[in-house]
Amino acid sequence: MFRSAILAATLLTGTAMPAFAWTFTGGDGQVVTLDEIPARIIASQDAAAGLIPLGIRPVAIYADSAVADAKALQGLDLTGIEIIGQTWGEVDIEKAAALNPDLIVAEYWPLETTWSGGDNVVTALSPLAPITGPEQGASILTLIEDYEELAVSLGADLQQPEIAADKTAFEKSLEAFKAAIAAKPGLNALAVWAGPDALYVAAVEGASELMDFANWGLDIIDPEVADDRGYWETLSWEVADKYQPDLILVDNRSDATMAAAEAQPTWTLMKAAEAGQVTDWPAFWLRNYAAYANELAKLTAAIDAADPDLVP
Amino acid sequence: MSARQGKAARLTLGLVLLLALLAAVGLFSLTTGARAITAETVWQALIAFDPTSTEHRIVWDLRLPRTIVGLLVGSALGLAGAVLQGATRNPLADPSILGVNAGAALAVVLGVAFLGMSQLSTYVWLAFIGAGAAMLVVYSVASLGREGATPVKLALAGAAITAVLQSVINAILLTSPRTLDEVRFWQVGSLAGRSIDVVLQVAPFLATGTVLALATARLLDGLSMGDDVARALGQRIRLSRGLAGLSAVILAGAGTAAAGPIAFVGLTIPHVARAITGPGYRWILPYSMVMAPILLLGADVIGRVIAPPGEVQVGIVTAFVGAPFFIALVRRRKLAAL
Repeated sequence: MFRSAILAATLLTGTAMPAFAWTFTGGDGQVVTLDEIPARIIASQDAAAGLIPLGIRPVAIYADSAVADAKALQGLDLTGIEIIGQTWGEVDIEKAAALNPDLIVAEYWPLETTWSGGDNVVTALSPLAPITGPEQGASILTLIEDYEELAVSLGADLQQPEIAADKTAFEKSLEAFKAAIAAKPGLNALAVWAGPDALYVAAVEGASELMDFANWGLDIIDPEVADDRGYWETLSWEVADKYQPDLILVDNRSDATMAAAEAQPTWTLMKAAEAGQVTDWPAFWLRNYAAYANELAKLTAAIDAADPDLVP
Repeated sequence: MSARQGKAARLTLGLVLLLALLAAVGLFSLTTGARAITAETVWQALIAFDPTSTEHRIVWDLRLPRTIVGLLVGSALGLAGAVLQGATRNPLADPSILGVNAGAALAVVLGVAFLGMSQLSTYVWLAFIGAGAAMLVVYSVASLGREGATPVKLALAGAAITAVLQSVINAILLTSPRTLDEVRFWQVGSLAGRSIDVVLQVAPFLATGTVLALATARLLDGLSMGDDVARALGQRIRLSRGLAGLSAVILAGAGTAAAGPIAFVGLTIPHVARAITGPGYRWILPYSMVMAPILLLGADVIGRVIAPPGEVQVGIVTAFVGAPFFIALVRRRKLAAL
């Protein structure tokens, strides 16, 4: 009787929880399980930017655009990694299949309910291997922590000196950032993208890094009306001074944005622009501690230098 | 007064009235925008500029350049469209339909993507080369076969080449967000954000193109009677077409360089002009030249006020106005009679 109970229990646990070697819950809520720890990984450009600094090197990357233009991948060593896509929504399926991947790592976009690269890429890649990865959500910090969890499960050792040093650098940068904000009560900021036709003001909710900054105490002006997708308010250059922040954060995905802003005669209608209280906004591309530490340091320097009472 | 003189007097009066209307639209363009500035302040800004006044700076630095660009580009597009319709005897001819815009746009996109160009001064040259090359290709393709470059074949070749060029442009923009960032505003066609430098840059070309185009009026009248008649009248057809084509490329290339590809203005306006003046190009050309900037600036002013605090680019507004007109035109049977 007792023996059969044990047998039944063993069988039950055996069926309910088979001895899989690797399991991960993705940002879409789906659990991916594999017999072995996956070694051959195809990563989206952002996932690669999250994983490579943690010691996990994918065999291939598919990028949203020319890899040389991908801000997220700048400074990372990509030698030996195959590039299987350089256009959003496209991937070289033959190259991908030839690489025999164990796992596809991407980011889950809850609003679009799809993974990095869009449905076409997912349809092309998911027959080759399961797809998983963290959720693109309300915080870059959380996103990086999700990458840490994933990297550890894949065999990364976060105690490696270089990896640990990146994290320490970030923590120091964050402390300095918070201290700088605390030292400047009343300072507010505005995040923008500048085009030759108009000035686009970013909504905080539309950008994870802006939500981080806001959580850490930075007072960011939210535009009154954001567009239908909730990312921007478009301002004619004639009314570029609709908001008067103490500090302007300019989207730094491309250098052209700052140049476009400075070329506009009405850019300096914003007192902060006239006073040179302008710095970079790492828009939508941060994925690791090293890059985050750098960008926070730039922001901190700008906050330290800014006059918080520029605008009465 | 003979009937002929009476007609000339009427058409001259009409032209004067249109010039007055153009001046009114120009004033409207100076006084209308996302920021409310009174007509009085605009006037003050024009006669006694005060650099410390925000309103004065907006009038001088934003509205005046874009108004001038609108006037110049509008007249260039109207004239180019009229010349092309006459030279090709194609009522649907328009710089955008004959591949000129797409060629100019592709050249600019290539320059930005692969040569790292970012100055409007270089855009102008690229746009010219692209516009000229595209028109040559369209003309060569249309010339294949027995009848040569008939109006229908020109329109078909233009549409096909435009589609090809457009897909190349899209491919480059999709793979290079940096290029997209730099040409995004330029791609739709807009008068916003152009400084007076742009005007100075393109003005010599527009002047040359305008003189050349107006000088072809007599040749166009000859061509409009058909190649055989024109030839019988002693006209050198290839030369006439070449001169007219050259002026259209210069005008459309410079216009496109300054404001981006703007469709339908060059198509629509010559038809309206022809409806008023009758078939003579000596009247169609100046009428097109004055009426097109009225449409372009008017569309720009509308674009400035319909979506505050942002703006709708003029290329989108003209497409909204022009597309229904284009469809009506295609559906009319009288077309072939041009």
